Amino acid sequence: MLGFAALIPTYDALPTYDALNMHIEPLKAEEIRDPELNALIARCEVLGVPDAVFPRILARVPAYAKALLRALLVSHVEGNMDHRLKEVIRVQLARTAGDPYFAGLRSARARQLGLDEETIAAGSARFEDDARFTAAEKWALRYAREMYLNPEKVDAAFYAEGKRHYSEAQIMELGAFIAFHYGMQVFMRVVGAHHREGA
Amino acid sequence: MALDPDRIDAEFYDALRRHYSDEEIVELGAFIGFNIGYHTFFGTLDFYPMFSPDGRLVSQEESARIYGAKPVSLEKTNEAADKRR
Repeated sequence: MLGFAALIPTYDALPTYDALNMHIEPLKAEEIRDPELNALIARCEVLGVPDAVFPRILARVPAYAKALLRALLVSHVEGNMDHRLKEVIRVQLARTAGDPYFAGLRSARARQLGLDEETIAAGSARFEDDARFTAAEKWALRYAREMYLNPEKVDAAFYAEGKRHYSEAQIMELGAFIAFHYGMQVFMRVVGAHHREGA
Repeated sequence: MALDPDRIDAEFYDALRRHYSDEEIVELGAFIGFNIGYHTFFGTLDFYPMFSPDGRLVSQEESARIYGAKPVSLEKTNEAADKRR
């Protein structure tokens, strides 16, 4: 576990984003006074996914923000699936969703565990032919890709293949992770958060 | 958001703000995103409601007969995917 629960938020500035491009402006740090929400935002900042922008937009609806940020963190960091694989999948999904915000973020924990940019890029490319991924990981990457591009391909035979690699609990963990993160990426795409030019 | 996200531009937000506050727009947007993500996932699991429209507990087979074997939402998602390809 990352020991970040007690960290104090340090997100006074949003240096890599152009607020003018966003259709919903993130709240300023001093406008967020709920200590539970601030602790969750601090956890997000330490992980790096999300950074302060998404939580500060959600913070306009504090009850939503707390529930969604908690679910985002739990689904990404906890469970019985490899966090590095989830990170590769998360970036692939953001690219499918056309969301530059989540596609540009990286998990500090995954990086600490050895995940590199080349592997992240490979997960969004022709991963079926890539020897760096196991057969199980290739199934998980196909699960994410087909879910929103060709959902009709995610059928009983596809799940039967997945059960040769993972338990049903792991598949549900992965499916819920994919569904939740993709949904939030679709939302952020239409909010319009873009990395500032050159950042 | 689900079918043509490029149409949700500044003008679209201006129209939304004539009816809703920024707080309500965030609530609605996150809710829609959540549902887009989960309903496609649920569609792949091929399960049906436990109850008939009149409140009877029914088997999955009977429920599929009642509600139809192919969800309408899945068809719409496929159309959106076709447009993206």
